[in-house]
Amino acid sequence: MIRRLLIANRGEIACRIIRACREMGIETVAVFSDADASARHVHEADQAVRLGPAPARDSYLKAAAVIDAARTAGADAVHPGYGFLSERAHFARACDEAGLIFVGPPAASLERMGSKIGARRLMIDAGVPVVPGQSPADQSAPALSRAAEAIGFPVLVKPSAGGGGIGMKVVRAAGAMDEAVAAARREALAAFGDDTLYVERLIERPRHVEIQVFADAHGHIVHLFERECSVQRRHQKTIEESPCPALSPRVRERMGAAAVAAARAVGYRNAGTVEFLLEGRGDTASFYFLEMNTRLQVEHPITECVTGIDLVRTQLLVASGEPLPFSQASLSQRGHAIECRVYAEDPAQDFLPQAGPILLYREPQGPGVRVDSGIGIGHEVSVHYDPMLAKVIVWAETREDARRRAVASLREYAILGVRTNIPFLLQLLDHPMFLAASVDSGFLDREGEAIAASSVTALPDAAMAAVVEYRRTRGTARTSGTDPFVTLGSWRG
Amino acid sequence: MAEFVVDAIGEGWYHVSDGARRWRVAVAGSPDATWVFVEGQVAQLDAAAKGRLRPRGRSEAGVMSPMPATVVAVMAEAGQAVAQGETLIVLEAMKMELPIKAPRDGVVKAVHCAKGDLVQPGVNLLELAE
Repeated sequence: MIRRLLIANRGEIACRIIRACREMGIETVAVFSDADASARHVHEADQAVRLGPAPARDSYLKAAAVIDAARTAGADAVHPGYGFLSERAHFARACDEAGLIFVGPPAASLERMGSKIGARRLMIDAGVPVVPGQSPADQSAPALSRAAEAIGFPVLVKPSAGGGGIGMKVVRAAGAMDEAVAAARREALAAFGDDTLYVERLIERPRHVEIQVFADAHGHIVHLFERECSVQRRHQKTIEESPCPALSPRVRERMGAAAVAAARAVGYRNAGTVEFLLEGRGDTASFYFLEMNTRLQVEHPITECVTGIDLVRTQLLVASGEPLPFSQASLSQRGHAIECRVYAEDPAQDFLPQAGPILLYREPQGPGVRVDSGIGIGHEVSVHYDPMLAKVIVWAETREDARRRAVASLREYAILGVRTNIPFLLQLLDHPMFLAASVDSGFLDREGEAIAASSVTALPDAAMAAVVEYRRTRGTARTSGTDPFVTLGSWRG
Repeated sequence: MAEFVVDAIGEGWYHVSDGARRWRVAVAGSPDATWVFVEGQVAQLDAAAKGRLRPRGRSEAGVMSPMPATVVAVMAEAGQAVAQGETLIVLEAMKMELPIKAPRDGVVKAVHCAKGDLVQPGVNLLELAE
């Protein structure tokens, strides 16, 4: 069994992993950059080692420094969390070579899934459905049109080197192909310096649904059902839930089996997530492999809520060589869980990341409410890292009960000193499309701005009354002689 | 304007009542920048309590990155006319894409970054001519 674990991460996920270790009697070693010297994860761990200056590339992304820290602290295992070094095969290999247990998949699995093209080929061989598409060697317009015909309209023409939706063209009929190809090529060249195009079937209004898988070193692979992650802005997930309201039991079972096949195909071990696009709903829905995330996911708590399984604890058991403590047949989903990601960003300013000290802080609590956070009063939110501050995870018997619980919890979550997206999350949870469970993965990119605009509301006058009292009792109020309430009219929330 | 009864309950928290209902309000910060929270909504107020937004982020002539980031795409070139709100540069930081948009209509005077560059906050990425 792992005796002393180094957590190669920061923020809420480092705190989450420390908690699991405390319950299991595993000693913890935190690492930190200069910006995080007094961060919560540093205080909560049994010991802490400095990695380097604030920028991630000089600290949390420095594999050699992390391995040195593990050696210095006498750790026998390393948990990478998510992001940073978690999906870097070279880091997993360096841990192996240093005699450290890497709490994650074998380096070879990371490599196989790290290459998008290679992963796609492996999935096809394993019988896992993928989005039909190709990048023909002959890149002439007629050849691209023939490729589109073979795939079947509507298609998406996009730069092979691309990302972020740049240069992507939707083509619904053969006649529009030439113009789309010319435009995509121009944009691809301008943005990426490479005009090679890829043609794939357009999945209309897909949902982003992923399956949690777990494999041990003894040949057991199970899935722990799905997470619905369609509420995302520019590929940044915002709200996740489980179960997915569009999934029928039959499709869920097929997706689970496909995810297990995917994990088997890459010789997977430990916790992983297979992402799919889901087209349609109910028994007639189709799903297509998107990619595999070879690590613990940010949104893992909703799976923990509906299955009752502690995924981090299971990771530590599996990494220690233990068999999975559960079988597929013993797993079930119960109730409904929703996770809301709280980001330090201002919805009123195009979601600009925010930085500053936390002046006042209080987390919601109550039955079925869990907050995974890595901040507290006095914490300095820095621009160096991901702006996610915390996750509010709620569980209830039904989706509507869980939604109401999420709303009530977010309304109680007080964070002063930096602006957060909480007002935006509240608007989202009340949006008719969310209520109807008919959100696809393009929803926020279409509606996000309007929802952000509607989240900017004036506070009740009662708030101003408290401000007046606060200033009066601190003896710092300006005595202008006018009634402070008179100025309430134009203030912005 | 209703009359409010305000009770401090400690650590920056207040019960505010207008006789008909009660709010729990949190207040923190300095007189120049007072933060107030009620029911999931937050505001930042300056000394005059008019809630004027502090200017943040972008200058008029230049376009800057709000945080350390990597340039993933440059979509404008010198001499190009751009419209307010048009995406000029796409940055990425910690897996998150951040489109940098034109703060106003104008003509691009110069581009000071290229795809793959690591950029720091406060540095002009692109200049717009007057």
